[in-house]
Amino acid sequence: MRFLNYLPALLVYGLLQVLLRYKDESDLARRLKAREPRAMEDLYDRYGRLAYSLIYRVVRNAAAAEDLVQETFLRVWNRVHSFDQQRGALGPWILTVARNRAIDYLRSIDGKMSAGSLELDRLENPALFSAFDDSALSIDRARRLKSAFEKLNPNQRMVIELAYFEGLSQTEMADRMKQPLGTVKTWVRSALKALRDELMEAASA
Amino acid sequence: MSCEELANMYELYALGLAEGEEKMEIAQHLADGCQACRRGVHQALALNSLMLGQVDDVKPRARLKRRVMAAIGVRHRSWTWAAALAAACMLVVALWLGEQERERTAQLADARRELLEVSADRDHMAAALRMLDQPDTILVGFGKGQPAPPKGNVFVNGRSGVLLIASNLPALQPGRLFEMWVIPQGGAPRPAGMFQPSANGMGFNLLAGPLDLASVGTIAVTVEPEAGSPAPTTTPILAVPVAGL
Repeated sequence: MRFLNYLPALLVYGLLQVLLRYKDESDLARRLKAREPRAMEDLYDRYGRLAYSLIYRVVRNAAAAEDLVQETFLRVWNRVHSFDQQRGALGPWILTVARNRAIDYLRSIDGKMSAGSLELDRLENPALFSAFDDSALSIDRARRLKSAFEKLNPNQRMVIELAYFEGLSQTEMADRMKQPLGTVKTWVRSALKALRDELMEAASA
Repeated sequence: MSCEELANMYELYALGLAEGEEKMEIAQHLADGCQACRRGVHQALALNSLMLGQVDDVKPRARLKRRVMAAIGVRHRSWTWAAALAAACMLVVALWLGEQERERTAQLADARRELLEVSADRDHMAAALRMLDQPDTILVGFGKGQPAPPKGNVFVNGRSGVLLIASNLPALQPGRLFEMWVIPQGGAPRPAGMFQPSANGMGFNLLAGPLDLASVGTIAVTVEPEAGSPAPTTTPILAVPVAGL
């Protein structure tokens, strides 16, 4: 699979951006909620490049990626009023909105819409991105997660890729990979468990 | 389903990829205020964020920021390079138009001056022709039969003045012109106008105005500085006696 070639070379540039900027975001969130245009510029300066990189990774089309970045930030601007400025995490929220916009775009050009779009829309609710523990997004956890991902076997890496960057459900993965659904579910669960365990270990260390 | 059974599905749920019964179960647990599932989904969101952040860095075009800001109704205040270029072009065009206007104004002034000069020449010529038509105008020829002198005629009229028409005039040095003189009998020469010969040595000068014929002795021409002289400074190239006409 061609996309698997990319993953070993993935950089942690964007990830580090998210982590390093997390702490001073409550003031930025406050200004966004106050509808300060300058705050939107600051938000773009922090996350615009990362959002574009993620969306481009999914859609592989520069023009479409620009449209989707614009849509991402417009959504954030329009929904920030319900964001928890004290306990919320802007980075994870923006990444989720960006990823969902890109997946929604892929589904639209494949003719798969409606119910999936509503589901993604629901999962972008800013209220879901509150009460993030600072340590949950630490650089150490990011490094460990990357290392854990690289230790997965090719099938496990593939299903993770298909889930995160192509938005395929387990049933769709089974169709794509021409494997039994049960087998795919096993790969997904074991891969996620390995990643999760690595993060738990980092948290307890 | 128990929270333990759902624990493996939180990440897919947070990605919108959970299916069927598992998806409905997690949604129900969350709706019921299940703290374990809520905590699990939060941890899944953190893991998902860390995964999504691990992408190759791709730099977007600079204009994307302007598009994003425009989408929320904020226009970029600084000039773009295109606007700056357009302004520079407009400045160049304005300067060029200004220069054109100055040139046109100078040309108009030149044309106006030339028109005035032509108009003056025309008036001068018309006055000369009127004088020639007058029956009391007296014609005095000069230079005929001489080896290589200026030749021509002097027309004298007591009411209209003196008209000199000459040919074979010598070429002039730069900065020099011919000056005609009216020399009274027993008196000092009076300036009667400057003139320049044509390329073929023809010259024409009119002193318009009443003239006391009884006192005039001679009409003469000398070469003088182009600013004119109050009295002749060179030997006359021609002198035509008109006394007693």
